[in-house]
Amino acid sequence: MSEMGEKYNTKCPGVKRLMREALELVEATEEYCARPLEDNLFEWHFTVQGPKGTEFEGGIYHGRILLPKEYPMHPPHIILLTPNGRFEVNKKICLSISGHHPETWQPSWSIRTALLALIAFMPTPAEGTIGSLEYTPAERKLLAKKSVNWVCPQCGEIASLLSSTAAKPITEEEQSVLNQIAFKAEEEQSPKSVPPEEPIVEVEPQVLESSEPTNTFLDQLMEILIALLVGVIGIFIYRRWNINQVSETEL
Amino acid sequence: MADNASSSSGCTGNLVDNSINQDELIMKQQREIEKEISESIPLVGELEELLSLEKEYNEDPVYLLKVKDLTSKYKYVRRTRPDGNCFFRAFSYAYLEHLLTDKKEYDKFYEIAKNSKEILVALGFSQFTVEDFYETFMEVVQRVGEQAGGSPDSLESIRTELHDKFNKQGYSDYIVVYLRLITSGQLQTEQEFYQNFIEGSRTVTEFCRQEVEPMYKESDHIHIIALSNALNVGVRVKYMDRGEGSQVMAHDFPEGSSPLVHLLYRPGHYDILYA
Repeated sequence: MSEMGEKYNTKCPGVKRLMREALELVEATEEYCARPLEDNLFEWHFTVQGPKGTEFEGGIYHGRILLPKEYPMHPPHIILLTPNGRFEVNKKICLSISGHHPETWQPSWSIRTALLALIAFMPTPAEGTIGSLEYTPAERKLLAKKSVNWVCPQCGEIASLLSSTAAKPITEEEQSVLNQIAFKAEEEQSPKSVPPEEPIVEVEPQVLESSEPTNTFLDQLMEILIALLVGVIGIFIYRRWNINQVSETEL
Repeated sequence: MADNASSSSGCTGNLVDNSINQDELIMKQQREIEKEISESIPLVGELEELLSLEKEYNEDPVYLLKVKDLTSKYKYVRRTRPDGNCFFRAFSYAYLEHLLTDKKEYDKFYEIAKNSKEILVALGFSQFTVEDFYETFMEVVQRVGEQAGGSPDSLESIRTELHDKFNKQGYSDYIVVYLRLITSGQLQTEQEFYQNFIEGSRTVTEFCRQEVEPMYKESDHIHIIALSNALNVGVRVKYMDRGEGSQVMAHDFPEGSSPLVHLLYRPGHYDILYA
């Protein structure tokens, strides 16, 4: 941490806050652990244990936490790296109060809140939310079994990262917060693709755009075919006309 | 930035319904535009002549009359960034500025501020995050206290310092967060009373989580009532809107108090007023 102190401006509240959180989370627990990368206070790696009594039981899941420069005013992003069957891997997901936008993130929440919420949210139905996966319980159990052998290129074998110490118990207030938190991937569409009022209009140009290369090829083929056809018809007419002429002269 | 613009966006985010996603996208785009505009405005601006408001309403007789009415009581205005935090930012700036010249009020406020952390922790807020905001907040408060009631020269330099701090996003937002926490604490402590102000079926706690504690959520009467009660500070808000008449209506929070902070409200936004 002292190195971090040299590198970052500790007067900056966001930096001070993250250092505090790093200290708070310095001891690994049975349920979760997290720590900043050695060279970047704004990126952390975390490991969580699959919640007991669910299809994730026995699973160990590793991922990244990306902290925006405005943290804690803006929420952290979480990226799961271990295949789990609940969240897509390598995709940014973000926490907010269920049914609300990410701006319902509260600065008084912390990385611990985010991890506890993630664990609590894993067994909830995916309901087609962006970034969510709806694998069967059997598939999830299989992934849970495999997950213990997963190795992070930076942190090593993830199974060895958790400890046997129980985490600080969840307070009543925390529990009520956790019940309300939902995770969702960010909307990916660029503002340009905001669809107009009629959805049909929006679909068409996309289809045209996406199939453009094949389209031009087909167009060329069609042109050649049409040219050929016109040629053939021309020859036919010419021959017909010739024959007629010939037969006329014969007559 | 209409008063409830952001809060009314609570749509059912979990359903993947095309129309909802489209709404969300459009709103997201709108939020981005608003954000861009708002970030071009300083968090807290310089003192401006109140008459500068006239320029904004060149061809608007209703507003021009009201600006005129306002100038009979106030001389200057200080604008704040319209980012949804304007009430909290305007209030804290104006109040701390006042405390510089009112040592007695400062001592009273210092006691309330000092005890506020324990109240929040007792309510169940996470100790270490509350402490984080509390410390930065108190750091600024104490700087004001060191100079309160000082010579005009020393006041001038602390005023500049305060202005700088309020325009540093880090400090400024930390002060806003802490005031939001105090407001939430007050609402939750006096739940029974405040429940009457909340429309719909939300509980006070839910309201706090969704409309008070998150940043950028706009303030309504209930926020002002709760904060002014929690800190025991009178706030006068002058409401300037398209309403009938040429007068700008004033409202004091808590009712009947003698105001130390004067704010100008125009639909969706608060600025600071000076006599």
